[in-house]
Amino acid sequence: MSTSDVELPPKGGFSFDLCRRNEMLSKKGANPPSFRKTGTTIVGLIFQDGVILGADTRATAGSIVCDKNCEKIHYMAPNIYCCGAGTAADTEAVTDMVNSQLQLHRYHTGRESRVVTALTLLKSHLFKYQGHVQAALVLGGVDVTGPHLHTIYPHGSTDTLPFATMGSGSLAAMAVFESKYREGLTKEEGINLVCEAICAGIFNDLGSGSNVDLCVITKGHKEYLRNYQVPNHRAHISSKGFTFPKKTEVLLTKITPLDEKVEVIEAGDAMEE
Amino acid sequence: MAKQHANWSPYDNNGGSCVAIAGADYCVIAADTRMSTGYNILTRDYSKICKLADKCVMASSGFQADVKALQKHLGARHLIYQHQHNKQMSCPAMAQLLSNTLYYKRFFPYYSFNVLGGLDNEGKGCVFTYDAVGSYEKVGYSSQGSGSTLIMPFLDNQLKSPSPLLLPAQDAVTPLAEDEAVDLVKTVFASASERDIYTGDKLEIVVINADGLRREYIDLRKD
Amino acid sequence: MDLDMSINAPHSMGTTIIGVTYNGGVVLGADSRTSTGMYVANRASDKITQLTDNVYVCRSGSAADSQIVSDYVRHFLHQHTIQLGQPATVKVAANLIRLISYNNKNMLETGLIVGGWDKYEGGKIYGIPLGGTLIEQPFAIGGSGSSYLYGFFDQEWKEGMTMEEAEKLVVKAVSLAIARDGASGGVVRTVIINSEGVKRNFYPGDKLPLWHEELEPQNSLLDILNAPEPMNT
Repeated sequence: MSTSDVELPPKGGFSFDLCRRNEMLSKKGANPPSFRKTGTTIVGLIFQDGVILGADTRATAGSIVCDKNCEKIHYMAPNIYCCGAGTAADTEAVTDMVNSQLQLHRYHTGRESRVVTALTLLKSHLFKYQGHVQAALVLGGVDVTGPHLHTIYPHGSTDTLPFATMGSGSLAAMAVFESKYREGLTKEEGINLVCEAICAGIFNDLGSGSNVDLCVITKGHKEYLRNYQVPNHRAHISSKGFTFPKKTEVLLTKITPLDEKVEVIEAGDAMEE
Repeated sequence: MAKQHANWSPYDNNGGSCVAIAGADYCVIAADTRMSTGYNILTRDYSKICKLADKCVMASSGFQADVKALQKHLGARHLIYQHQHNKQMSCPAMAQLLSNTLYYKRFFPYYSFNVLGGLDNEGKGCVFTYDAVGSYEKVGYSSQGSGSTLIMPFLDNQLKSPSPLLLPAQDAVTPLAEDEAVDLVKTVFASASERDIYTGDKLEIVVINADGLRREYIDLRKD
Repeated sequence: MDLDMSINAPHSMGTTIIGVTYNGGVVLGADSRTSTGMYVANRASDKITQLTDNVYVCRSGSAADSQIVSDYVRHFLHQHTIQLGQPATVKVAANLIRLISYNNKNMLETGLIVGGWDKYEGGKIYGIPLGGTLIEQPFAIGGSGSSYLYGFFDQEWKEGMTMEEAEKLVVKAVSLAIARDGASGGVVRTVIINSEGVKRNFYPGDKLPLWHEELEPQNSLLDILNAPEPMNT
């Protein structure tokens, strides 16, 4: 709802009354549980043979890191992958859903999926939910019409660009792209630039961290490079390790045999599989 | 018309964690050197530890501007004390002064979370832990700041101190040797920087013992 | 913190969009900035969207809303073209946009300018502002940058311009709005539609005329800082 000063009863579509109620409740101090957010750096660029996607691997809930090595590059189709930022559940659900729709569409048509198909499915879902499905995506792939890179915002708007960044680290990563991107990068140059952009997010944005995941998609081929770079290691390991000797004390042990209380009847055949 | 509130806050939270451990003849005070706001790192090299007297240091996290003001105020008060008494303030005295200073601003508090550590008049390690408005307690070990919720349970497990309600009063200092305590501090900060986004970059450790005051640094995660 | 909030804000195109008729067709023009609050999310966006071979639309307001409206209208126009067996008229396209904008006025925040050429009425410009009004106009301006342009157009627009004159006017107007409106920027894109077909033109941001107190385009901030003379502020 863009303007609340025009109060007309909606003719159709979804009701967002509960969203407004929740907003009102949290203003009064009844806060909902915190969701797992991927305060994220995700990026993508087009190079001479296709598309490279990149992501960090930190998931946070407030100021706590809840996953140090999560996967943010989601599979959409054999030739299409999608990076997700925002509420983890939303990015996961929306990419899974479109993934299955694309699979069915391929069964139906017998053709390779196109990136625009994925784009349209994603944007129409997100638009329908008016920004309440908090998923910000970088969609990339190579299809019969060539390499494609798109960004999709939670409200359902889309952009088509040669290089794109999303998430809380998008400014740090975009600074790298804006100063160093050019047309016709080789695969190696592309990978290095994406790594540099993700690392800019990892080190300068507190919402992003841990490792670099990459996905290189070219015509008829793809490489999912999980943990391509691991730039952050544990700072210190205790020289002698730790013991936790204070176990729970056993005060009393009592065993009640079950066969006195249960009558076992042996009958019937075993269930077959 | 409804009452309008200012929509800006005079406070910010610059994050960071502090730990102090008292031993029989030493005190270890440590803090990371990251200063941040929101999702941004302001600097990776900012010391949260302030030497107040020869045998008394304070580590503070919270709002840097308030921490700075508090440190400056305590420094001035300590200078006056030295002029008046011709000696350094003892650590327990400084602890009381800090409490009074914090409570003086009860209704517009210093947004700072402090631990004070040092040696008492017998040369025994002592740690004092505070809230933002001056409630304080003498303890054997403590942690404050953004990573304290992660650090404190681990310290409790490793250094379980006697209940303060026990009679006769038990000694609060930890049984560890100095090098063991320093190793424990390094471990808790390495762990906190794994899971707390506001803790990281570098760890500054100050050890106070009969020989004086010693500083040590190790690197933490930078992401 | 301010920036964080603005990144989470919905995307909107604080825009300058223009449509002008001339003798023989229309010229559409737009800047290329899409912003979320303070952050420029896309500095090279294309706000002049194709609906059919001979009809284009300039979009302003919420990016998501204007995209969805133009996607629907493109879909309906394709069906209409197939059923009719000939190209849809500009009036039909404009009327469809009006219908969607009016019927969903409580959900949408988008203003559009439709322009195109058809064999019945020639070049036509229609403005469809926020509530879903449809106005046929000899020229239309829209978006946040348009407030700087009313006086300019009152003076400069003339009946029966040539194509070159009309395009020059459009580019000049968009660059003027870019100079004054913070929410407009980037490059200038134009689309010329007439009986011959469609022609797209692109004017890079560093090749636009400089207006009052504008600075020379610079490749790097370092160039400004290292300049021999201190910068005048």
